[in-house]
Amino acid sequence: MVFAASINSALGRAGLLLMLAASVFGALAVLYGIRQHDRKLLKQGPLYAWIAFGGIVLAVVMMQRALITRDFSLAYVQQVGSADTPALYNIAAMWSALEGSILLWALILAGFTAAVAWRFRKRTDDVLVAWALIVMFVVSAFFAMLSFGPADPFAAGAPGVTSGPGPNPLLQNHILVLFHPPILYLGYVGFTVPFAFAIAALVTGRLGEGWLMETRRWALFSWAFLTIGILLGGWWSYEVLGWSGVWAWDPVENASFLPWLTGTAYIHSVLVQERRGMLRVWNLSLVLATFSLTILGTFLTRSGVVDSVHAFVESSIGPALLGFLAVVALSGIGLIAWRGDRLRAPGRIDSPVSREAAFLANNLLFGAFALVVLLGTVFPLLAEALQDRQLSVGEPYFDRLGTPIGLALLFLMAVAPALPWRAASGELLRRRLIVPAWIGVATMVVALLLGADGVAQVLTFGLAGFALAGVARQFAVGIRARRRAHGESPPAALLGAVRGNPRLYGGLVVHVGVVLLAVGLAASAGYATKREVRLAPGETATVAGYDVTYLETVTDRSDQKVTVQARARLVRDGDDLGVYAPAISTFPNATGGIGTPSVRTGLFEDVYLTLVSSPTETGRVTLGIAVNPMVLWLWIGGAVMALGTVVALVPGRRTTAVHLPAATTAASAATGPADGGPADADRVAEPEVPVG
Amino acid sequence: MSAAVRRWLPWLALVAVAAVTVAVLVARSAPDDSDAARAARLAREIKCPVCEGLSVADSPEAVSEAIRTDLRRRVDAGEADDEILAAYAARYGEEVLLRPEGGGLGLVVWGLPVLLLVAGGGALAVALRRWSREPRLEASAADEALVARARDGGP
Amino acid sequence: MKHPLRWLAAGIGLVVVAFAVVLAVQDDGPRQTGGRLLGQEMPAFDLPTLDGGRVTSEDLAGKTVVVNFWNSWCIPCRQEEDELAAFYERHRDDGDVALLGVVRDDTEQAAREYAEQAGLGWTVALDPEQQAALDFGTTGQPETFVVAPDGLVTGVQLGPTSLGQLEQMLEEARTGAPSAP
Repeated sequence: MVFAASINSALGRAGLLLMLAASVFGALAVLYGIRQHDRKLLKQGPLYAWIAFGGIVLAVVMMQRALITRDFSLAYVQQVGSADTPALYNIAAMWSALEGSILLWALILAGFTAAVAWRFRKRTDDVLVAWALIVMFVVSAFFAMLSFGPADPFAAGAPGVTSGPGPNPLLQNHILVLFHPPILYLGYVGFTVPFAFAIAALVTGRLGEGWLMETRRWALFSWAFLTIGILLGGWWSYEVLGWSGVWAWDPVENASFLPWLTGTAYIHSVLVQERRGMLRVWNLSLVLATFSLTILGTFLTRSGVVDSVHAFVESSIGPALLGFLAVVALSGIGLIAWRGDRLRAPGRIDSPVSREAAFLANNLLFGAFALVVLLGTVFPLLAEALQDRQLSVGEPYFDRLGTPIGLALLFLMAVAPALPWRAASGELLRRRLIVPAWIGVATMVVALLLGADGVAQVLTFGLAGFALAGVARQFAVGIRARRRAHGESPPAALLGAVRGNPRLYGGLVVHVGVVLLAVGLAASAGYATKREVRLAPGETATVAGYDVTYLETVTDRSDQKVTVQARARLVRDGDDLGVYAPAISTFPNATGGIGTPSVRTGLFEDVYLTLVSSPTETGRVTLGIAVNPMVLWLWIGGAVMALGTVVALVPGRRTTAVHLPAATTAASAATGPADGGPADADRVAEPEVPVG
Repeated sequence: MSAAVRRWLPWLALVAVAAVTVAVLVARSAPDDSDAARAARLAREIKCPVCEGLSVADSPEAVSEAIRTDLRRRVDAGEADDEILAAYAARYGEEVLLRPEGGGLGLVVWGLPVLLLVAGGGALAVALRRWSREPRLEASAADEALVARARDGGP
Repeated sequence: MKHPLRWLAAGIGLVVVAFAVVLAVQDDGPRQTGGRLLGQEMPAFDLPTLDGGRVTSEDLAGKTVVVNFWNSWCIPCRQEEDELAAFYERHRDDGDVALLGVVRDDTEQAAREYAEQAGLGWTVALDPEQQAALDFGTTGQPETFVVAPDGLVTGVQLGPTSLGQLEQMLEEARTGAPSAP
């Protein structure tokens, strides 16, 4: 066996070895340091993390070098690299197939471990931190080991090869391919941090709010990237794949959605533990589930057990990932069961109409949704294992079960921020909810008057109105409180209110984003119009008010591909909207053509053109014409969610003592505490003074 | 008008308006039984045989176009929905049906989530009622701080 | 809390293990689509032919029928054309063997031009509404079906076929032993 085909693979392998060794020895050193109470040893823990990071960086740099210089002595470069592919796409080629994607995962994992080590470098003698580091080292070591066994990116290729097929043509069509996987991985891998701290909390018995508070921002950060990553995937599906849909319930899509569901439940549920010390088992279970689901997702994507648009070539990585998943899940469950007696909450839920109860219901609903998605994804495997039947689960199933749960979640999102902690008086609730509720109903009425139909769609609009009105009310209350206290102008009051409680207002902004997303989903799924038309040059077809006139076909040949474009003019109400050109590209190294849609993005509707078949002898082409409403609002909603998360991540100011009128105190007390200042984040949170 | 009624009046009005709205909505959204609509609905139930999970309604493939045309033809000829789906399952295999069966193994995939929601909701309701009935000990802030410190061994 | 929690944890742990087992026993090969017609009755059809006539399934009853779906633009179809032509030469005078080509997913003009240019001697039927293509459960072309005299499909080939394979499928149809795709 040739150890190193070239300098790239030699140094690359060395880098991987460094990461593996540093992770293993780091785990052992910290473990030993804990046992022997050796502070010096513990202080060195972070060093191992940084060395491991250096190692994987070296490996990734070498892989990129190999790809960019087209070093075809490596089997991986033979598989995904190509002399014809532009350099930019060669960079992204690293994560277009199995081995390189594991390399990317390992890079981000080592990066997070190094970041955690840096963040807590002054607290290495804290047992919680030490154990968290150990867990992260163990996970890092596992992924490094994958790169030595089943997913070796530096394996030597067949000799004498001078070019390769290049990345899958689908991955060469759009710049998005550069961003979607790394962003998604930042989300996936980021959840390793709260998971590590949760395990540390279980092992050390420090099951209070400490581990939560330490990792709050890490969890939120990862959640944000997972959200953006999923939405980017939807955007890519829409812009590139040509079927004018954003979500296909594809098993690999579901694999990214599952940790998102449990992760979202988690970031909400921890608020209850922060405030009242309750739902400890829930939070531990949710973070364990989220991390396990990221591993499950990796397994489903890479093991070949499911058919998918995303599926990588199967390899022996499947059993390794499955084994790791089983170990993680069972260890976590075992630890929770072992520590059961320490997980009793000091408080109780006093009333069904309280924020705690709402969060509990939230957990239940998200859990049910996750179960639906998990069952739907795994059912074909179950059917094959148990009854040797090939069965499918598609949109009809996920829609039927997911829509009611989604609507219930929207409702909860609209109502819960108005619920106070502990218990609500009827009077308070009535006062807070009546106006938003009326606005919600009014929204439904308006929608009906405008001709909308579809129960799920109009209910979504109504709940959206309800939720937005609730958010507006909260902002108004906050602004008014500040104006009364500080006499600021409205814009300054807004800024001051947000700065005073960024978590609350950031969260509200995220909810606005969710509302926009929900509206976009409901409208684009429910009110889209699709037709296929056969047109000769000069002929026009009309779909949903848009006149599409086929002009001509243009063929463009380059080294990379041959593209056949059908140019068509779009006119609406006499306004010329321009010429759009859907295309089909064929690549020299792959069979079959890749369709490229041409999309006119409008504020309220998109016109989506596809070239279904090239001109026949008669010169006619078949065009797909779809008019999709409100698609832009999906992306706007995502951007708003990202913005809200940024706000929520800002360190809050410690509020100075201000003499406020009684009414304002009650109002602000019911909406949540101010976050501690930057100094606080370093320390375990002081137990809270409950504000009645 | 008593004070209680006046308090609840806005809510009663709200519920009334909401109920009427939803009734109108449901009536308006009744599934269209025209042939074209039935064919479109069936197209969402059948998987494109050469795609990775897309329905024939969504898939741009030639086979999907052929199946959509065939669905319209069958619907026009008066075939019932389950007849048509059964014919396709016979011809292309069970995996071409996107909606899992209701009985048999399908109970797993339809029943478990419903079971979870019902059982979970029930457990939640029971627990909430039990907790709200138990006498509450009013712990003071100092008490809770003491307990937290003892439990967590923190600073 | 201890006991209920531990029971719950044990239960969930069991589910996780069962789940892992289900995942572990999966075979990870590509799944075959199509070819369900094996052992079933040949679907009835009534199609126009290139020479202006019609051909129905009844016309071919009692014979061993080889139905070949093809079109003018599919490259494997061109590859197998010689094989089909050789098969036809051998059996054109066998009264009990019939070779029927069915055009799939193509325009009449293109198919006609190709058939003339290639000199296809056997009966070629058009399938303008893709009805036969769907009834036979085809997902692409070329696909070849061999039907025994009693009307049951005994052989299916997805993808280009060869003379040897055609002969073997013919033999199996005559003697009654089904062949796997």
